[in-house]
Amino acid sequence: MDVHADWLRHIDAELEGELTLVEQTALARHLAACPHCAGARASSLEMRVAMAQAAGEPNAHVVPRPATPRRSVALWAGVALLIGAAVGWGAHERWGGPGGAVEDGRAAIFVR
Amino acid sequence: MRRFSCADLGLVCVVALLPGSVFAQSPQHRLTYDVAVVRAGIGVRQVLAAGHVSGPIETGLRLSLRSDTAEVEALFGVFSESDTVTLAAEFFAKRRLATSRRGLPLWEQDSYARFVQLEWGDTARVYPLGPPRPDAAESLWVDLVVSRSPAGGETRPAETLSLGTGPLEVVLEAVVRPRRAVVGLGVVRGRSIGPPRRFDLIPDGANRQISLPHPSGMPLVLELGLTRPEPGRSSRDRTLALDADIVCLRVSQPDSTDPLGVVCGRLNNVSRRIPLPGGDTLVATFAWPGAR
Repeated sequence: MDVHADWLRHIDAELEGELTLVEQTALARHLAACPHCAGARASSLEMRVAMAQAAGEPNAHVVPRPATPRRSVALWAGVALLIGAAVGWGAHERWGGPGGAVEDGRAAIFVR
Repeated sequence: MRRFSCADLGLVCVVALLPGSVFAQSPQHRLTYDVAVVRAGIGVRQVLAAGHVSGPIETGLRLSLRSDTAEVEALFGVFSESDTVTLAAEFFAKRRLATSRRGLPLWEQDSYARFVQLEWGDTARVYPLGPPRPDAAESLWVDLVVSRSPAGGETRPAETLSLGTGPLEVVLEAVVRPRRAVVGLGVVRGRSIGPPRRFDLIPDGANRQISLPHPSGMPLVLELGLTRPEPGRSSRDRTLALDADIVCLRVSQPDSTDPLGVVCGRLNNVSRRIPLPGGDTLVATFAWPGAR
């Protein structure tokens, strides 16, 4: 197994801001002594810069995530509601629904 | 543990009156249920069926209404104190609810009790499918008149029904638990049949020792006991008292605890056979006792 694999995962976690101070210190000590991992960290940073530039935010602090437009969310929610209503209507037509109160359909006796 | 529900209370009341609990001391009256099944629409009133059921004062009325989409069966009974009478009914209803994914009908089943207090000769209007909504174009009901009259000792139940045209199947039945039953017995050996004899037995009464003519000439001595069957296993059987006119005959040899055979049947004169030791067969029929 690659001895650097663990450190490469640590590098990714550090760039995502997920390492504790102790882990960051250990990683810094390792990078000072390991040119392979230091180069990998630089490559990872360069890749993130490229992604930020592609997203139109070259000065971003983190890689910008693709945002879902609000109109699309509203559109898909509406479509889902329509599909649910259609399926519910069809199921009610085919299998029926719970109906009214139980007593409404029970026999009643009145004295005339 | 099963809870004792209101429906159970109703069933107890209806079943309790069938053996004639409150009327046992007044057998001189005869009870009559006059029934008319009516369907009414806007400006139209149609009698789908009419008839009556009468019998001893403990007689119940079993009414069945069936269509393609609904079945309502009810057991009516009355119990009285002084001039008022309480009409009790146990209903067993089924409605076609929908169709399954395999195309089979799905039914909804319900059972419940209803009570109403009236006077002799009053008309009780029963809406078997529930009271109609104010905007309903059509409604169905059953007019039920409960009356009593001096009986003159007549004990047999009677039923009449005239059906009109309509999509509804209507059945009226008298439900009476027999106080006595006539048991006809004969011994068969091969192709020889001993002369049959008839015995008047009381359900759940004491055992009775009898002697039957045997084809061989030697009389056959047996001990007979008449009992009522165990309560029906299904809720519908119990609710509608479908076993009301069934009795069970227990045949044993004198001074023996082990029965030779037990046979159950309705009081309809259908012969039933009990094999006896030695190759003989006992043929039994059950019938209502003659009118007194």
